[in-house]
Amino acid sequence: MSILLSPPLLDSSLCIPELKSRTRDAALAEVVQSLSGGVVRDAALLRESLTRRERLASTAIGKGLAFPNVRTLSVGESRMILARSSRGVPWDAVDQVPVHLLCAVLSPAEWSEEMHHESLTRAVNALRLQRQRQKLIDAEGLPALRDLWRELLS
Amino acid sequence: MTESHALLQVQEIDLLLQEWSLPVSRVRLGRLGFAPGDDRSLHRTRQRLFTTVDRRWQRLYERALSRYGRGVVGVRERVCQGCRITLPTSAAPGPGESLTLCESCGRILYWG
Repeated sequence: MSILLSPPLLDSSLCIPELKSRTRDAALAEVVQSLSGGVVRDAALLRESLTRRERLASTAIGKGLAFPNVRTLSVGESRMILARSSRGVPWDAVDQVPVHLLCAVLSPAEWSEEMHHESLTRAVNALRLQRQRQKLIDAEGLPALRDLWRELLS
Repeated sequence: MTESHALLQVQEIDLLLQEWSLPVSRVRLGRLGFAPGDDRSLHRTRQRLFTTVDRRWQRLYERALSRYGRGVVGVRERVCQGCRITLPTSAAPGPGESLTLCESCGRILYWG
């Protein structure tokens, strides 16, 4: 089955230039809170599901990257939220490096595992190269970050 | 925690457990760099939450889950996201209700 990442996959509300949170769970709550009205049907449910996924196994894959992800009843459309932390958030990564870039991948509950993983693969591939990650870290301001992120995903 | 919230959480846990129970899915996640996890505590949490749900809804949930792989589905623009049928206005939850059933497919509807 082909995946349709319907627009608006990205809008200004789905990039967080600088996370204020210093812990994993607080960062997840901040990501959920950043989603503007109408995107999330049940913020508490989404927060619990993301936290539960982390307890199952950390979504930090090393090199300062984390991809919190769930299929959830809380969203009606696929969403990716990119967030940066210049300080770094401890995330129980395999290499113990704090997370500087995170991309939350949210898929509707109706999606199959395969569709969700395609979306996840797209996010991971966009951040695979060091020079791409560095560009995102160096991007100044929300518009530059959003444009670059959009370019990397295309 | 309300009964409906508990049931929604059970559905979210079941989605996660389904994903992690498939070998092909675990291989895919491993290739992407995700660490393997131990889902035993997730099973315990599910069990604990499920016992807080009324027996009638438990039965309906399990029946839909075994038949379709989803016990609860969302409603968007009055369309059941399980069977894609347009629901009558009377299908919306009334005052004091939070859960309803799709009369077409039998899945529990989340109107959120």
